[in-house]
Amino acid sequence: MNAIAAVNANPALPIEFVPVERDPGANIERYAAGCADILDNSSARHVIGCVTSWSRKEVIPTLERAGGTLWYACPYEGFEANDHVVYMHACPNQQIVPMMAYVVPRFGANGFLLGSNYIWGWETNRVARDLIADAGGKVLGERYLPLGETEVSRLVAEIEATRPDFILNNLIGTSSYAFFRAYAELGRRDPHFRPESCPILSCNLTECELAAIAGIGDGHLSAGPYFHDPAQGAVMPASSFEAAAHASVLALAEILAVKPDAQWTDLPDMFAGRSFRSPLGDITIDPQTQHATLPVRIGRIEGTAFATVSHLRSVAPDPYLSHYDRSATFGRPGLRVIS
Amino acid sequence: MSRLSHIPNLGGAKAFVLHRQHPTVQAISRQLAAIGLEVHDCWPDLPADVLAGDFVFFDVDMGFDEQFPWAPGAAPMPLIALIGSEAPGRIEWALSHKADAQLVKPIGNSGVYSALLIARQSFEARQRLAGEIAALEARVAERQTIVRAVGALSAQGFDDERAYAQLRSLAMGWQVSLEEAARRVMAMTREEEGDGQSRHA
Repeated sequence: MNAIAAVNANPALPIEFVPVERDPGANIERYAAGCADILDNSSARHVIGCVTSWSRKEVIPTLERAGGTLWYACPYEGFEANDHVVYMHACPNQQIVPMMAYVVPRFGANGFLLGSNYIWGWETNRVARDLIADAGGKVLGERYLPLGETEVSRLVAEIEATRPDFILNNLIGTSSYAFFRAYAELGRRDPHFRPESCPILSCNLTECELAAIAGIGDGHLSAGPYFHDPAQGAVMPASSFEAAAHASVLALAEILAVKPDAQWTDLPDMFAGRSFRSPLGDITIDPQTQHATLPVRIGRIEGTAFATVSHLRSVAPDPYLSHYDRSATFGRPGLRVIS
Repeated sequence: MSRLSHIPNLGGAKAFVLHRQHPTVQAISRQLAAIGLEVHDCWPDLPADVLAGDFVFFDVDMGFDEQFPWAPGAAPMPLIALIGSEAPGRIEWALSHKADAQLVKPIGNSGVYSALLIARQSFEARQRLAGEIAALEARVAERQTIVRAVGALSAQGFDDERAYAQLRSLAMGWQVSLEEAARRVMAMTREEEGDGQSRHA
């Protein structure tokens, strides 16, 4: 909404956005209906929204039927390139791959994988299993919890028993917070399980959730295209989700300024050779996959913000990991420490 | 739980789409390009460099045997059938080419990635099986050599069981298959017989 206000207030852009809002209230059954309502009963052709991959996959048939476009501003597990979707947040080569490339040489290659029981956790952990194998490590355990489950004592006991080098956390919401709490408790009993030696890695944890793990998240890591700099205050978006949504509105505004009736069929040509200003920096959108080229940052939690510990300025999207290169990610085999 | 990587590096793989100019070709090409493959569309003939291709998509509705520079069922890469009309004769023809996966027309926004992975895996499984069968057939064809080698060894005063055990231990010592050891034993036996004969001459 800030971005819409900014577009409407910008005299250089000859357009005005009139938002049409529908709130599915995180009820998975209401996404497709909400999307259909927007596309059928208003003149809007572009929808910005959805958080989970599950909800995105729910609205795609509606977009295809009605000729709409979804601007999707959250990280996802990859392996999709629908021409009715513009993917504005990170796909695997912009989150889990650089995260593992950062973590393996510093902490080791043996991991314990956690996830909430739906496609994000399954697919991200599947990629992680392959990456761990390529790095010469072992998956010491892989466990899934139903959405919303907060009973994590068994997971933590298994982690304590297997002593991994890191934990990949694809739990979401309250399950994730419950795990952070129990893990902090484990770290107090056994110093191996402190973030300096065995961090929790997340690829979708943003500033919005840091309040929920205040005091127990410090030192753990997350990957994203953007972290909020507290020194810049409320001028800049509060999280990468917000930054990517903001970038979506600005890119859409630039496109509609050139071609006011731009449809999904026009987008690849509009993306070719253009770059878009955004809170993520100047970004481009690959016409073939409709995924954004993004910066990649790895951040360490410090209170309610992330301190960037690694920053790649511009990583082209590779949603199918078709250009994944083992040795470029982990270096040459044979150089790893055998203990 | 360590295992080999399964990240399918499809980047730069070559796909040929054998289909007349049609929205089907555009839909497939778009998906292939998004996945990172190099796409060549052609009709009615496949070019010579198809032999360096990694995947071939072919039209089942209008396709015919002469389009392929290989015998039906002997393609050197995974094939994906593009099926429009589900007429049994056409499906039978696609099966004669041993398509490893299929897409049903019209092609929408998805389906190509899973077709690539399924086709590649089933093609590799078929190749592996064919290799195993060829190796087994070769071994079966050597039955007679083994019987002869056991006979030759027992002629040196062993019973059959000990002669067979000796053949096995020779194979282990030479680190070759039982069949190969039997061939060597027979070659040596022939040499000795040859020497014997030349001395007698």
